[in-house]
Amino acid sequence: MDATFSQLAMLGSSLMLIFGLILLWRRRVPAYINAFTGQSVALAGVAGATGYFGTESELYWVAAFVLLLKGLVIPSLLRRMGRRFGSERELDPYVNTATSLLLAGLLVLFGYAVMRPLVVTSRLPTRASMALAMGLILVSLFVIVTRKKALTQVVGFLMLENGIALLAILGTYGIPLIVELGVFLDALLGFLVMQIFVYRIHETFETIDVEQLSRLRH
Amino acid sequence: MATLLLLLTPPVLSAALAAVVRPYRRAVGWANALLSLVSIGGALTLWAHVLAGHVVTSGPGEFLRVDALSALLGFGVSVVGALAAWLGPGLSRGEDYDAIQTRRFRIFANLFTFTMLFAVSASSVGFMWIAIEATTITSAVLIPLHLSKASVEASWKYILLSSVGIALAFAGTVLAYVDFVAIVGRQDAALNWPVLVAAAPSLHPEVMRLAFVFVLVGYGTKAGLAPMHTWLPDAHAEAPAALSAMMSGVLLAVALYAVIRWAAVANATLGAAFTDQFFLGLGLLSLGMAAFSLVRQHNYKRLLAYSSIEHTGLVCVGLGLGPLGTFAAMLHLLNHTLAKSMLFFLSARVQQRYQTTRIGEVTGLLQTMPATGGLFAAGLLALAGLPPFGIFVSEFALLRAGFAAGRFWAMGLVLLLLTVAFVGVIAHLNRMLYGAPSPRVPRGEPSRWPLIPLALCLAALVVLGLTIPSPLERLIAGIAGTFVP
Repeated sequence: MDATFSQLAMLGSSLMLIFGLILLWRRRVPAYINAFTGQSVALAGVAGATGYFGTESELYWVAAFVLLLKGLVIPSLLRRMGRRFGSERELDPYVNTATSLLLAGLLVLFGYAVMRPLVVTSRLPTRASMALAMGLILVSLFVIVTRKKALTQVVGFLMLENGIALLAILGTYGIPLIVELGVFLDALLGFLVMQIFVYRIHETFETIDVEQLSRLRH
Repeated sequence: MATLLLLLTPPVLSAALAAVVRPYRRAVGWANALLSLVSIGGALTLWAHVLAGHVVTSGPGEFLRVDALSALLGFGVSVVGALAAWLGPGLSRGEDYDAIQTRRFRIFANLFTFTMLFAVSASSVGFMWIAIEATTITSAVLIPLHLSKASVEASWKYILLSSVGIALAFAGTVLAYVDFVAIVGRQDAALNWPVLVAAAPSLHPEVMRLAFVFVLVGYGTKAGLAPMHTWLPDAHAEAPAALSAMMSGVLLAVALYAVIRWAAVANATLGAAFTDQFFLGLGLLSLGMAAFSLVRQHNYKRLLAYSSIEHTGLVCVGLGLGPLGTFAAMLHLLNHTLAKSMLFFLSARVQQRYQTTRIGEVTGLLQTMPATGGLFAAGLLALAGLPPFGIFVSEFALLRAGFAAGRFWAMGLVLLLLTVAFVGVIAHLNRMLYGAPSPRVPRGEPSRWPLIPLALCLAALVVLGLTIPSPLERLIAGIAGTFVP
């Protein structure tokens, strides 16, 4: 039972990490949005599996929310932005694709190193996957730092949130539901405000390339 | 219960009123201004309760909880919230904002105040996190109140960096909670701060170290600590003055509040030495970075912004110096709140008159606007750490705490950097105050009554420079006693 659960958690977390890595080597916005959608579905799957094996019925609610919000609502909003700005590809990131992938690999290893104390002290069947969640968090940070299009940064931020949610589910079988609801609300509002700003950036700068945002360097 | 509502509901009511009445009417602004005073009353009542030895709690599962630290921060937030309500767009005539912008300001500034008040009175570190994340959303909307390339850029940097930082703080919260669940088991109140502190001695030190670093980097981004400060000068310089005053005066303090809460948990697990080294390191780094940036500033709003980084750094250094240092840090926090919010409101008057934020283009301020110029000069002198203002006293107390703790090298460095900052601020101030005013700049004050609340801030700073009133001393001593082992 535990072995199956452990493997399922590992499978789900690995899928999420791979979806995260797609941001590093694809350049078209629709690919990013599909990757995020896939990642959110995988997150919902992990939440559902943890709810079933860990007998935490609250996690079914979390899975449903993830599916609704991050699997449906946010991707559809992202697609609308994609139709508007989709022609702006991530052609020339600060770090090129090959180096990015190499560094991402190192970041995942670093995630294992960082999470060692937690993995060693934990007795949960999900403990091995927690390092992958940390890897996803670090890779998402890397995406936000090295990519130039505002839209890519937004997707990177959403994936960062997914990584933290994965860590919470794997490590604690879910933070208290009421707090989780607040976090979802913040995530949605934060995304909506970021969306407004992406449109504003496009209006005022006629591009969503944040490299153009360099007026304020003193 | 009732007093907590007194503190928390006025900003919600004001925001709702501003949202319902459209287009904006001046009556809404006045209602907002009066309600903001009710909030201060609530904060003072809570202060009195805390001094009487109570920790005020309310709601199911002690949802809200106010101790000495919350009372101090609650007071600061409500005071700056009131200043913004009285001096922000929408009360006096002849402003640069139209009805739509004013209405938007009144809605979101009040929500911003509410999220900060909620952050300092929530018992659960989870809700504290939610509230602080919400402060980013409510304030980012207001930065580009005047839509321009610079303001859009500043708000994008702000929202992206702060959101990422806050997300990392959440990761830290989750890491600590993972360990809590592994050792104590699942329980509903587990994220409540007192429960966490009580359980902290049995948590794993290695895990707590990791969690605290995440929390510190996360909330530290929001507090403007170097090297995560890059959003701060842009956001403070481009935001409307009332919002800059709120962000600089209290938002940074609220972010530090979250760090202090977590430091108390980490100290209970690890002993104080671990958090001390981080506080000292980040504090000195921020102080150093800011001191040298102050010297080469050309823009007075950015000057004020870098000065905020400097003072946040000082507070941080104080937190790393034991109970005496914490006492000085809390006093410094309050002094900085008063001085910096006053200066940002004054800078708005200067900007309105001179139509520029460049230091070189503002000359003869004392001749053009004698009262504003005088207050501006007094405020900057206070910030630079001269007596008889409160900041002198808190900086002195901080240095004394440092020497008493045997941190001679660190204190020497602090003194040196304070001198650099002093020279930078005074040189820029001289350039603005004197010289021949440009002939195209009209003379005289645009309006007089807004100077009254600002003069009150200065008076409070002078009082704090001469004596520390007993209620304040007891409150801050209570904080230092609770948070430092």
